[in-house]
Amino acid sequence: MTTHHGHGQHEDYSTHGYDEHHGKPHDVRKYLYVFLALCVLTSMSFFTYSSYWPFHAYPQVGWTFMMAVSLCKALLVMLFFMHLKYEASWKFVLTIPASVMAIFLIVALIPDIKWRYETIVGGRTVSPQQVPFLATPADVELLEEESRAALAPGQH
Amino acid sequence: MSHADHGHQHIKLEYQPALPLRNGKLFMWLFLSTEIMFFAALIGVYIVIRFGAPVWPHPSHVHLSEPIGAFNTFVLICSSVSIVLALEAARSDKAAQAKLWVGVTLALGAAFLLVKAYEYNAKFSHGIYPAQPRSQIYEQPDIYYAAAVRGRVRELSAPLLAERAQLEQQLQKPDVADREALQQRFEQIESQLRFYDTEILDIANNPNATEADLAKLADRIMPLPQPGSHSHAAGLNEEYPELKLPVVVPGGNMWASTYFMVTGFHALHVTAGLIAFAVLLLPRNRLGRERAGTIENVGLYWHFVDLVWIFLFPLLYLF
Repeated sequence: MTTHHGHGQHEDYSTHGYDEHHGKPHDVRKYLYVFLALCVLTSMSFFTYSSYWPFHAYPQVGWTFMMAVSLCKALLVMLFFMHLKYEASWKFVLTIPASVMAIFLIVALIPDIKWRYETIVGGRTVSPQQVPFLATPADVELLEEESRAALAPGQH
Repeated sequence: MSHADHGHQHIKLEYQPALPLRNGKLFMWLFLSTEIMFFAALIGVYIVIRFGAPVWPHPSHVHLSEPIGAFNTFVLICSSVSIVLALEAARSDKAAQAKLWVGVTLALGAAFLLVKAYEYNAKFSHGIYPAQPRSQIYEQPDIYYAAAVRGRVRELSAPLLAERAQLEQQLQKPDVADREALQQRFEQIESQLRFYDTEILDIANNPNATEADLAKLADRIMPLPQPGSHSHAAGLNEEYPELKLPVVVPGGNMWASTYFMVTGFHALHVTAGLIAFAVLLLPRNRLGRERAGTIENVGLYWHFVDLVWIFLFPLLYLF
């Protein structure tokens, strides 16, 4: 893409070959391949929703799988669509600190999960003892059975 | 800088940019690094609340449709491709083609927002709002839930009671016209009120109702489908949509708060992107090589919005 332009605008570094491979524009086919890969990856994470997904009993497997798929998609978008694959090494200066801080932020929040779980159970939301009484159909059936069983001896 | 010492220590400095990229692009990347941290905070908070919650609703409990979410993911991916094609066209100085691709991106982004609006509307119509007092979600079938159900039934029956009183007066007159029709309407109202009594108030109005009874009432109003099943066909709220009775969705309020916060901020970002595309599409802007830098900046922002959704979709719809 640097073949046919004037070098007049000194501010336009992108047209001076700093962040592009020299000579020709990006191949449009490359974007289509990335697009297809993204579609395949999206259907892969959507697959966890279908009944063919074998790990419905272990949701953690699905969560890990989906996060891995999402990371792959994010990498594809950043490398090809945001052109980071072709940029000079300034890309590390701008992306790595932000990513590190973002990851640290999430890691720092993780202890709060346990704290929340322990303080809220027995608090304002719901207690473990109450969980069987929450209105899921299975629970209601269970309760109806129990009440029938409790009534049965009294009828005789 | 060479030959700077002509006898005295005068150094001629030449400007060297710290990072070899345009100011606009540098700004966009700095902005995006703050955005990374912004959304990391939102997603982190969502994870803490989601996994720290003793109960969390299944997507089907809160009328969240996974296929619609997947479709929206697809729409955003397509829009990422179209904006990158716009950039390529602009770099090759094909201004009309660039404009076309920016237009396609604008249309796809608008389609995303429309689908999002449809989803929000589906939540609102089921009484799912980000906060009280509009939210119709109750955490557990307790006395507060019973009171809310009673309140809603009172709201529904007040006009019926007024009409019944009027009809009674009219029917007492000996020479009333249309007695048949009035009598019919009277019986209609009677049966409606009886329906409230036998289906809802038998439990909601019973001072001796136990938590188990109230759980049965909640199940009668809106049974929560088992995970994997998506049928919301049963339940009074579904059979008679005008009832709009309060529902019990354990963890539903926290879910609604986080869902609307995270998707709302994302939708705001989408809206900002659409405004930028609309400005690019103004007739006075020629999207040739001279505009490639601007399109690249807007494109970087748009890819970031896509990136955020790539993580939000599985977290919100499939976890």
